[in-house]
Amino acid sequence: MTGEDPGPLIRLYGLTGGRARPQGETFDLVAIVVTVGGLSGPAGMIPEHRAVLSLCRRPTPVADVAAHLRLPLNITRVILGDLRRDGLVSIDRPRPVAQTMDERIYREVLDGLRSL
Amino acid sequence: MGYAASEPGTATVAPALAIKILIAGGFGVGKTTMVGTISEIRPLHTEELLSDRGIGVDDTSGVESKVTTTVALDFGRITIRDGLWLYLFGTPGQDRFWFMWDELALGALGAVVLADTRRLQDSFPAVDYFEQRRIPFVVGVNCFDGARRYDPTKVRRALGLNENIPIVMCDVRDRGSVRDVLTTLVTYAVEGMSPRY
Repeated sequence: MTGEDPGPLIRLYGLTGGRARPQGETFDLVAIVVTVGGLSGPAGMIPEHRAVLSLCRRPTPVADVAAHLRLPLNITRVILGDLRRDGLVSIDRPRPVAQTMDERIYREVLDGLRSL
Repeated sequence: MGYAASEPGTATVAPALAIKILIAGGFGVGKTTMVGTISEIRPLHTEELLSDRGIGVDDTSGVESKVTTTVALDFGRITIRDGLWLYLFGTPGQDRFWFMWDELALGALGAVVLADTRRLQDSFPAVDYFEQRRIPFVVGVNCFDGARRYDPTKVRRALGLNENIPIVMCDVRDRGSVRDVLTTLVTYAVEGMSPRY
């Protein structure tokens, strides 16, 4: 849990220009990321940015993006913040669960669980 | 790329929705096992980099000075349908990572507090946390050996739980058992939201 080799961290901060945390808003773990404006992006993109654009062709929660990239959450957030700033992804802030959990969703979740 | 260029928002009719559920409880009570039992993916593992604010441990000179340590974050996923998922997040067991709970708990549907009757006191912090923040939770009593049965009334009394909070005997290694705990939580959480249900 602690005492990780600091080597990878140095590389990680290379990915984010030394930033440990995203500027401004942080994205919730289950905020939905969607690629917008095509896949290619500008020339010279780093592989991690390309990987996000490819993955998020399908709506994908932030936690899954981090896991797929095998990057810490806050590093992932910096990357996502950059991509959003450049208009390459949209990130939907989750609505309060009391609003999203209507009767239909509730039934779907219960039926889904019971069929496991 | 073999993919038709898709316009944003056309992939699914309804907006994608990921519902957050927390799995809490003392160290070694079976949180990670529970996530692994029910998740359709091997529990994914990411790490949270922590700043030194409020922690004050480990000086990693040579790296950015704010970064001191990492904490593992394990989570699992249950796909209900395309664009509707349950995400199970195991809460960090160590006390010094309490502040992370606030982020995990934000917007969560509810929580499962796992309890081990041999160490019920380990569940107190999680129970207190969710009670104070009015986050719906159920208590899952992990019965490590099927032979021993526990009296839910005693567990309720020992943990000081209100009558309405469900207590479920479970075996976190058993898929059906974990499913029952989650079903109980979802029902309890949604019933508490609105008189409509």
